[in-house]
Amino acid sequence: MSRIIDRGLEDQSVLIVRMGELTYDTLALSIHGYLEGKSVQEQVRELSDILLSMADKVEDETFQLIARFQPVATDLRTIKSYMKIGNDFARYGRYALDISFINDQVSGLKQCEPWTRDYISEMSEKVLSMVKTSVNALKKQDILLAKAISQTEREVDKMYFDYLQKLITAENANSKCVISSALMTRYLERIADHAVYVCESIVYIVTGEKVALG
Amino acid sequence: MTKNSISWMQNHVRRQLKISQNKNLDSSTVKLATKDLKAKFGKAQVLKGINITFPENRVTAIMGPSGCGKTTLIRCLNRIHELTPNAKVEGEVILDGVNIYSPQVDPVAIRRRIGMVFQKANPFPTMSIFDNAVAGLKLAGVRNKETLDRVAERSLRMAFLWDEVKNDLKKSGLNLSGGQQQRLCIARALAVEPEVILMDEPCSALDPLATAKIEESIAALKKDFTVVIVTHNLQQAARVSDFTAFMYLGQLIEFGATKDIFEAPKNPLTEKYITGEFG
Repeated sequence: MSRIIDRGLEDQSVLIVRMGELTYDTLALSIHGYLEGKSVQEQVRELSDILLSMADKVEDETFQLIARFQPVATDLRTIKSYMKIGNDFARYGRYALDISFINDQVSGLKQCEPWTRDYISEMSEKVLSMVKTSVNALKKQDILLAKAISQTEREVDKMYFDYLQKLITAENANSKCVISSALMTRYLERIADHAVYVCESIVYIVTGEKVALG
Repeated sequence: MTKNSISWMQNHVRRQLKISQNKNLDSSTVKLATKDLKAKFGKAQVLKGINITFPENRVTAIMGPSGCGKTTLIRCLNRIHELTPNAKVEGEVILDGVNIYSPQVDPVAIRRRIGMVFQKANPFPTMSIFDNAVAGLKLAGVRNKETLDRVAERSLRMAFLWDEVKNDLKKSGLNLSGGQQQRLCIARALAVEPEVILMDEPCSALDPLATAKIEESIAALKKDFTVVIVTHNLQQAARVSDFTAFMYLGQLIEFGATKDIFEAPKNPLTEKYITGEFG
């Protein structure tokens, strides 16, 4: 039996998945811009603003659904989680903007040695794969896929802390490179955390369990 | 309280705790419980073996589609069910550890300890507001004016009605609005100082404002009483109760903390009912 609330839930689902796809594109643009030394700040700012306004729309829709239908059980978990995921996606957009900023203002990787670029490139690939996993798990409401994110998150965390250790012990490191790469790895680590939060929300929607995947 | 009953109730609470993963129940004493409770009307089996506990000083809501047996269940809890012709009850209803269906238990005394408020407000039509409020006491032989005055005011206050009727106590109860009449019935039930209050869809005929006042009184009553409310209104169950039971076709499908039932029910039937997929 089709319920009146189903239409609102479907609209919200379409919106949040679209947001997820846009999030991935925004992050990929920003990260590749950083790795290749291209200025993409204006494009990223535009996309980040769109993500923010989409998050606002998800929030508005959530309040509408609560006010009009008093949802419970899976309906309630879904709309509550969509609002949270909307905010996670908006944060992705903000980190993408921050990354494009360090590329332009702190000269990206230009002052760094080649191994640094390779290291950050590898870390970026892992993080982008996590973002893609979170968006795919959301589309399919796939909890196995969502739970699989833990392993990559641990690898990203390890790479982040290992990199900080390298910076601490490096002699004669270029200060611009240190600032740029430290910020970049920090943002990547935070993006990975948000991908985990998205996956935790998916598990909560489907099972009602509040799990920690990080 | 027999050793057998204590042990059974402890085990049953443990089972319910496991089902609901509810930590609040730990600190609650069980006031009322049923053990394999079955009820029939003629050949129709309405309750098919209900095991449920009602924690003391908590509000428990019973919900379920029409005909699932929720009204029959609460009518069994104070032995009103057996007043219906062809009605039959098996199993136990345990109040403070004693089976109220034991032969030595007086059903009239039980109905004083477990009061009831019905779906339709039913003030005594020939009585004033005051006399309605203390009707139960008068039936029990209380004649002292001071006592009656004190109890009338106390019970009308507890039902959140005193301020609206204190200057019209001699007027007929029928002069009140539907919501006020229902609160008068609550006051009447409270006047005999029951320990448990059963409410059978007490707001089903009331507007939102009158409903809000009844709900306000229910929330206040749990300080002194154990409340069991049957309701068709899911939002009302969510608003007023600490625990919720879902019944279907004469069986208890799920029981748990209201928060858990409405956020993440364990049983797919509960999920379907509360999200409006059937009912």
